[in-house]
Amino acid sequence: MIAVINGTAWTAAAVEILHYFSMFILVGSMVIVDLRVLGLVGHRQDAAQLADRLFPWIWGSLGLNFLSGFLMFAGSATAYYRNDIFYDKMGVILLAIVANLIVQKKVSNWNQLPTMPAWAKLLAALSIGLWVGAIIAGVEVPALTGVG
Amino acid sequence: MDGSLVLFGHWLQNMPYALAIAGSDWAYPLVQATHFTGLSIWIGTIVAVDVSLLGAGKKSTPPLQLSDALLIWNWIGFAIAVTGGFLLFSVSAETYLANVAFLTKLGLLIPLGLVLHVVIQRNAPTWEKASETPPVAKVAALAELLLWLCVATAAVLIPYVG
Repeated sequence: MIAVINGTAWTAAAVEILHYFSMFILVGSMVIVDLRVLGLVGHRQDAAQLADRLFPWIWGSLGLNFLSGFLMFAGSATAYYRNDIFYDKMGVILLAIVANLIVQKKVSNWNQLPTMPAWAKLLAALSIGLWVGAIIAGVEVPALTGVG
Repeated sequence: MDGSLVLFGHWLQNMPYALAIAGSDWAYPLVQATHFTGLSIWIGTIVAVDVSLLGAGKKSTPPLQLSDALLIWNWIGFAIAVTGGFLLFSVSAETYLANVAFLTKLGLLIPLGLVLHVVIQRNAPTWEKASETPPVAKVAALAELLLWLCVATAAVLIPYVG
């Protein structure tokens, strides 16, 4: 089945479209939450309320991103698993997800403080950096393996 | 028309900066990453506003004013995406200008998306404050989401049709 998906032009394209678009929603929504914690977006909007609105989309698009990414990976698994940068990408994404889980858990507490704590801002900045890092590692995977 | 497009493409991809990106191992992926980072901010901010207009997520009190709050970052994302996109285009301009998926993306889908986006952005502050989101807002939001999905589709199809 995996070979059929990746070997048929329209299904391979559909998987790619899903991977890109879910990535945009995932990273974009998380960056909005991070920027709010950093105080760089919509300070008149309630941070916890904003996070409540966006986190279902963050986790939903992560699911779609993982599913489409797995289909792409499975199609050329041997090319991917020999590729160091692919492991870097997975590691960076894992760290980013951990950072996001902490933000989600803590944001309503931070929200009740007069200002966002410094470590919250540091975590938000780190989260943005990790997602940009995941994108950089992501474009390096096809650049170095010729797949994807 | 076709002849001058080819000439323009030829001229652009032989500019020193375009040759430099094409000739470097690390520059091209980095420019790609720039394009995708910009797109994430652009699409992420659009989806946040449109999905809220569509009514996913309960109306909160006071209602979130996402369109205004995200406006600056929305256009920062656009500027980053366009910069990265223009550089990617410059590297093989002649090929892109002969590609039907690219021409559809740039000549039709993106202009349509931008017009609809600006219309939504001008009206969203009113729509977001309303106790009931007007049907026209929902139609516009859904149409915009589908239109940007079409843009991504055309972009992915560029190597397939080329």
